[in-house]
Amino acid sequence: MAHRWGMAIDLDRCTGCEACVAACHAENNISISTPEQAATGRTTHWIRVDRYYEGTFPDVKVKYMPVLCQQCDEAPCEPVCPTYATYHNPEGLNVQVYNRCVGTFYCANNCPYTVRYFNWFDPVWPEPMQLQHNPDVAVRMAGVMEKCTFCIQRIKRGKDEAATAGQPVADGDIQPACVQSCPAEAMVFGDLNDPESKVSRMAESSRATRLLEELGTKPKVFYLERGR
Amino acid sequence: MYRHIKQPELLPYGKIREDLFRPLSGLTRKYLFAIIAPILVILIGGYAWATQLRYGMGVTGLQRPVFWGFYIVDFVFWIGISHAGTLISAILRLTDAGWRKPITRAAEAITVFALMIGGMFPIIHLGRAWYFYWLMPYPNSRLLWPNFRSPLLWDLTAICAYVTGSVIFLYLPLIPDMAQLAEHNTPWRAKLYHVLSLGWTGSDTEWHALERAMKLMAGIILAVAISVHTIVAWDFAMAIAPMWHSTIFGPYFVVGAIFSGLAGLMIVMAAIRKLMGLELYLTRHHFNNLAKLLLLMSILWLYFTMAEHLTVWYGNDPSEMVVFGARTRARFSTLFWLMVFVNFVVPFVLLGIRRLRNITTGVIASVGILFGMFLERYIIVVPTLSNPRLPAASSTSYAPSWVEIAITAATFAGMIVLYLIFSKLFPIIAVWEFKPHPHEDEI
Amino acid sequence: MASTMYLLSEFRDKEAVAGAIHSLRASGVGDSDIDLFSEEPVEFKRGVLDRPSQMSLAAVLGAIVLGGAATAFVRFAQYNYAVNTGGMPTFSFWGTGVITYEMTMLGAVLATFVFFLWESGLIRKRDKTAPVPVVPPECICLRVRCVSGDVVKATAILQESGAISVEKKAPL
Repeated sequence: MAHRWGMAIDLDRCTGCEACVAACHAENNISISTPEQAATGRTTHWIRVDRYYEGTFPDVKVKYMPVLCQQCDEAPCEPVCPTYATYHNPEGLNVQVYNRCVGTFYCANNCPYTVRYFNWFDPVWPEPMQLQHNPDVAVRMAGVMEKCTFCIQRIKRGKDEAATAGQPVADGDIQPACVQSCPAEAMVFGDLNDPESKVSRMAESSRATRLLEELGTKPKVFYLERGR
Repeated sequence: MYRHIKQPELLPYGKIREDLFRPLSGLTRKYLFAIIAPILVILIGGYAWATQLRYGMGVTGLQRPVFWGFYIVDFVFWIGISHAGTLISAILRLTDAGWRKPITRAAEAITVFALMIGGMFPIIHLGRAWYFYWLMPYPNSRLLWPNFRSPLLWDLTAICAYVTGSVIFLYLPLIPDMAQLAEHNTPWRAKLYHVLSLGWTGSDTEWHALERAMKLMAGIILAVAISVHTIVAWDFAMAIAPMWHSTIFGPYFVVGAIFSGLAGLMIVMAAIRKLMGLELYLTRHHFNNLAKLLLLMSILWLYFTMAEHLTVWYGNDPSEMVVFGARTRARFSTLFWLMVFVNFVVPFVLLGIRRLRNITTGVIASVGILFGMFLERYIIVVPTLSNPRLPAASSTSYAPSWVEIAITAATFAGMIVLYLIFSKLFPIIAVWEFKPHPHEDEI
Repeated sequence: MASTMYLLSEFRDKEAVAGAIHSLRASGVGDSDIDLFSEEPVEFKRGVLDRPSQMSLAAVLGAIVLGGAATAFVRFAQYNYAVNTGGMPTFSFWGTGVITYEMTMLGAVLATFVFFLWESGLIRKRDKTAPVPVVPPECICLRVRCVSGDVVKATAILQESGAISVEKKAPL
């Protein structure tokens, strides 16, 4: 049976430490923006931690929400692309093909989660960070759109290793960089087609919701949060 | 109020021919200045585009989440201007309105040039503009076809159909005039006109075919024009972004397009009347009629704007209300109310009160309307993108960079240059249509 | 075999032209042998010199052909590289109906233009030997093709109908 990759994020566990953001940058060769670029809204973080504030000063509560590509089953970004640079692969992943992208920006405008990032210039890394590039991931040129891939290179390697060992992929064998580095273990990745997987069980939880579910995008990222 | 002016239909044919063909020959110093200044502006725009191609889209003011900015505004604006020609020519031609005759060619030329300019923006705004042809369906080494389900492909086909149609629509009634121009002209001009007129002799078979073709084309081009701006609107309306996802967008954009197109036409007509000395041909009668049409479109535009905003306000959807608020009472409110002022209040006063309605006020109102319609597109594009559904991702700082401004300025200069060249090569009023028709029954 | 001759006559009055055409046809001259030359379109009442046209039909056919071909091509291309985007059907009316519409319209435009070029005789190989009259302003020239034996009769008809001048010309 085909895999259907999904993620569950327990917001009650998330501390907003942004280890996932740093891990994602290292794993996926994401360029590092300067403070000036950040000030003009030119940062790139495939996963970002949104902050929402509740209450008024001094009685303020901050809520953290890591937001990454929701890998929607009916993704609004996909049909609007004229060159098939973004499409749905058989494992349910919302794939971005950099080489096909001509940069119409349409996908980013139609993404309700604003998780698509554009290469405004050719990417640069401050010395010596260019030495730690991940050889499994392409570096993106100026003019193309990019976004979270659920670490598709890790999924591929995990499947290859399982196939070499002659075994099915075990739950928890494949971990995207953000999941692996989460110190609070708030994030879980796995196969939604396997009812016994941890992510499937978390998705069934009464605490589980999906972001902007009412739009009918059918996201595959589940957020767990106790009711208020 | 214009009746004391001699009706152009009563002018002798020789004078008409002389008056309308004269501006074609000779280059005056004034003309050269008028064409060189905008060419300089175009060069600056070209340099700006080269910079953008060399370094990337980062040289624009675009940023996440405002991925569309001035370029898309320019695109919608120019495609809107192109609707001048189709409305005047096609509708008035189909309804046999006699007053259209001196206006049609000027309007059709605007259509073609505005389309050429507007059609560049989908390419200019691309992150990798040099691969724009990947949108075309051609057999390629990537074994890949374009995605015809994308509204951008709809756009491409619509604009291709419209460009083809409007060039033919401009060309057909030029043929008899060019056949006349081919006689007694300087050698290279005679050759040019001779080739372009396809050996037109003026036989009744040719006239019959021409008139029939123009009638058919008028009908077809009307349907295409309406669909083109509808599809431009659908580029927005197909997205599920707040205040874009609206069923009214198609007709709303068509009305806005015709509105701005008429304003553009009014300015161009006033300019050629003055510069080419065509006071006898483009009379107050024509400007009066245009002004009334403009007034009608202004009221229609207000109606659509009201309908669009009232629906959102009453519906009170949270994500839409954020955009509504940004437009009407927060960051963009100055622009919004300025738009309402120049698009409705000014034309309503200047063109609605009969004593105030003349060519000068018409031009003033039209300049305001062009500015207002540019603002309208800005107000449609930017506030929605600045306020996406997840509030944490919103942004407040999009402003065009010098690159975007230079390219925008170059498009206006481009329009002037194209128009100046056109008016040197072809009579700006269709001579054969305009001159007295002793053999027509109704006159 | 009698040789072909052309008669070029000049008229100032539309009604006179109509009369001339009427008499010529009564004497056996066919519609295809009569040509009018003028600097602007001359319109007659129905039945004087009808030039039946199939242009509307051509436009409709062109529309159907290009619209159909484009739709078939889009369908082929969509299935040839069948990719799921956003759960949309690979090919559907809603997904690509706009393209069908636009290409239908483009078909009508192109067919009209091509048919215009054909019907007006501008690209069709014409009778290159026929002399083309120089039309003075506000005049209508009537060109009649006839065999040399009929020249006298036709000239008489033209002059009776009110021609200002009648000129006999051999093919070029």
